[in-house]
Amino acid sequence: MISQSQRITIWTLVWIALLTLSLPTIVVLGASFTSGNIIAFPPDGLSLKWYAKLAMARDLQQAFLRSLVVSLICTAVALPVGTLAGLALSRFRLRYEGAIQVYLLLPFTVPLIGSGIGLMLVFGEWRVLGSLWPVGVACAVINLPFIVWSVSSSAVLLDPDLELAAQSCGAGRVQTFLHVTLPAVMPGVITGSLLMFILAMNEFLVSLLLTDARTVTLPVQIYNSIRSIITPDLAAVSVVFILIALLAIWLLDKLVGLEVFLKSK
Amino acid sequence: MPETNPDFRYPLRWRIMDMAEAIADFLWPRRLSKYTGWLFIMPALMLVGILVLGLIQIADASLRTLDTATYLPSDNWSLDNFQKALGSSVYFKVAWRSLLGAALTTAITLCFAFPYAYAMVRTQSPKVRKALLIALFLPFFIGQVVRAYGWLILLGNGGMVNDVLGLVGIGPVRLLFNYPAVIFGLVQYMLPFAVLMLAPALTAIPTETEIAAGSLGANWLQTLWHVILPMAKPGLVGAGLVVGTLSLTDFAVPAMLGGGSQDFVANAIYDQFFRTADQGLGAALALLLVAVGSLIVGLVFMVFGAGTLSMGARK
Amino acid sequence: MANSHIRLSRRAMLCGSATAGAALLITGASTRRLMAQNAPEKPREIIVRAWGGSWVEALKAGVSDPFTEATGIAVRHDLTEDNEIQPKLWAAVAQGRIPPIHVNWDTTTNATKSALRGVTEDLSDVSNLANTTDLAKPVGLEGYPIINTYGYVYVLAYRPEAFPDGPPTSWTALLDPKFKGRIALYNDGIGFHFPAQVAGGGSLEDIPDNMQAAWDFIAKVKEQDPLLGEDPDFTNWFQNGEIDIACTISTNAREARKNGLEIAWVVPEEGCKFDTDGLWIPKGLPENELYWAKEYVNFALTQQAQQVWLDGLGLPGVVPGLTPPEDLVDDPSYPTKPEDFAHLIRISAQVQVQNESEWFSKFKEIMQG
Repeated sequence: MISQSQRITIWTLVWIALLTLSLPTIVVLGASFTSGNIIAFPPDGLSLKWYAKLAMARDLQQAFLRSLVVSLICTAVALPVGTLAGLALSRFRLRYEGAIQVYLLLPFTVPLIGSGIGLMLVFGEWRVLGSLWPVGVACAVINLPFIVWSVSSSAVLLDPDLELAAQSCGAGRVQTFLHVTLPAVMPGVITGSLLMFILAMNEFLVSLLLTDARTVTLPVQIYNSIRSIITPDLAAVSVVFILIALLAIWLLDKLVGLEVFLKSK
Repeated sequence: MPETNPDFRYPLRWRIMDMAEAIADFLWPRRLSKYTGWLFIMPALMLVGILVLGLIQIADASLRTLDTATYLPSDNWSLDNFQKALGSSVYFKVAWRSLLGAALTTAITLCFAFPYAYAMVRTQSPKVRKALLIALFLPFFIGQVVRAYGWLILLGNGGMVNDVLGLVGIGPVRLLFNYPAVIFGLVQYMLPFAVLMLAPALTAIPTETEIAAGSLGANWLQTLWHVILPMAKPGLVGAGLVVGTLSLTDFAVPAMLGGGSQDFVANAIYDQFFRTADQGLGAALALLLVAVGSLIVGLVFMVFGAGTLSMGARK
Repeated sequence: MANSHIRLSRRAMLCGSATAGAALLITGASTRRLMAQNAPEKPREIIVRAWGGSWVEALKAGVSDPFTEATGIAVRHDLTEDNEIQPKLWAAVAQGRIPPIHVNWDTTTNATKSALRGVTEDLSDVSNLANTTDLAKPVGLEGYPIINTYGYVYVLAYRPEAFPDGPPTSWTALLDPKFKGRIALYNDGIGFHFPAQVAGGGSLEDIPDNMQAAWDFIAKVKEQDPLLGEDPDFTNWFQNGEIDIACTISTNAREARKNGLEIAWVVPEEGCKFDTDGLWIPKGLPENELYWAKEYVNFALTQQAQQVWLDGLGLPGVVPGLTPPEDLVDDPSYPTKPEDFAHLIRISAQVQVQNESEWFSKFKEIMQG
């Protein structure tokens, strides 16, 4: 049922995509093991000295912990807000839906520098700069469309008759929502939340304007370091990041199964 | 015991659920049901509202001109910054470069994201599916800037790609610091987003539909064109909008892979805010970019229907 | 000025503690004064903005660590770029918030913008100013909203390998067809406008009124497809073999050389732009933190602090009697004598600040075209 030419075409394109996705990762991975003082690939001799340096770098570790907090706050804010909005857009008739969609896409149409400056002025006016939660909220705002859309696109897979059936069997509104609607959009919720978490973990431009030296997050720290000179310890940071990511993915696979990204129920 | 047992109690879960229903009925009576959609969307509108408050500040700044003798914005409002932005041939060029870049990036990204998502959704092997998913997620974790740096090493004059080209007697070729390098950087940055947006749409297309088309004599290209693409249209539009808007407003990729002469609008905004400290002009440019971006988004929704993202499934 | 009387009382207090410390070799006095009993309450730490990499390492070794040792106040470094911290500081002052840093290590041009805007504290009462050269005083500004701490030169850096016949002597080397695509400038053209004016046949006296010569020369350079970047880019590009010749700060070239690259630099016959960096303190700090921030600046002007800090940067300081690092003795990028300065172009920060955005946009116009 899949013809030869189709298979070849698809997998050629997939392999090109795979290469472009993975090559920089491999380079960074390799560069982190260099024994030289500059990032190079292939690495200039092998050593673990940059990892040793990392183990000593308390500022990087603290920045990492702060990033974790920011990402958790971002996800905690975006998950309920984005899920509800995604459902509202897909399962309810709203007037002015086009206008709402354009409005909800503002986080993408406003350049990040504009968002950063604007949010800095707003949060500054509110006297909340200097703590981490505004950074988390800001990350939730600027990436919100991702979770809204991933939820609304999985909501399509749900037949509205199912909700009606549940209700006619006597299920209340809350019950229907929790047992029928929510499980159906779960793939979208998980994909969306994960994206929010990862993107918050990597956001540097808006965070740069909202943090100070006491609240600096890891991506901002990396961005600032790269501005002077990029040393292999930054590659090592990325590798540690990737290892943590792999661990998280493995856990996710064991707990809920990676299939959840693609299939509902 | 056929009679009612005085000790009988509903399971805890039932009671909690009943309580939740009661609270819901109290807080949001059924007669308000037709507004439930608005209730659901309200938190999102408010969250984005913070950004709108920021935009208002930016709008205020855009109406004030900079006095370079005091480096303070003017007290009175004027449209000078907008005039300056719209009247400049450089900004026109930069804007055109960004728009074209966004369009190219969107088109190319979708060309690669579609087969990727298709292969991921349709493959019979769970192992392959997992590998494809992981390859998709991992690049997110090294961040945009470090990733772009990886490309600087790979594609540089002394990089591996040029080494390979050298083996066949070509080069070294300047692969970086030009427009194609920027587009390439944007495509590989956007690819995972696009695949993630497309995958659910493709999952929604039953395999049987394709088989049916095939058994009716369509070859795979015809099936693709007449069956899969139309059914995947909502996902394509959604992914296209994400990729298009994000690359239109991107800053880091043109800055790093463009070698300084391939500025996008966001880079021009950066220059005004951070380099020449002319926040008014930067603000005006930012607002113009938002206006153009939103206009395009609005047009796309008009052409493909506002319900695009809900996939038109709700008739 | 609402806070002028505060400043007076501060000065009176400083005088008092200075006499208590009894005088007066500057270096000895400063350390002693840091110990003074009647000083305001010490904050746990102060935050100093600095450039990363070798820049912050040098500051740490020369100023921050010894300061912590002498006072017990920890110094935290904020590595945000000077350009990028500027809107944060301006917004903080405009909104009446406590600024995110105590001391800003900044280019004099950027600092002048902040001074004109009125977000800087006056530093005239910093006692070690008495022992500085003229270079420390910002030109065209009243008092000391900034204290310049060293000078630097935008040199013509090159790979000797690409110049078998000897080092370039003129900026016109940039126009050599064999370097097409292999030259680099700052992405706003900073450091290049003035030598370009001379190389294009114009005169420095015409700056800022008539810079056509500079624009003509820059337009010719554009034909050479230059790469445009910032400090770290130059080091990277030299390292990765992307470029042969660039207009950059000597510190970047020296950094690349320390990493084992073959790099040399010259001051061509048309001259090089000479400029300064300095330290300043944003308005809005609590009284005691302001006091200790000033002490930090004061400390940075001691001879031993300057010696270590500027050895790291390879740049000439503002206190007399510093010994140049070995590799920079008689180097044109390390001017010490008046004749060294003859080849360097120095334009007042005020003229630069007032015209900079126009120059930058003109440069962009040519380069993005």
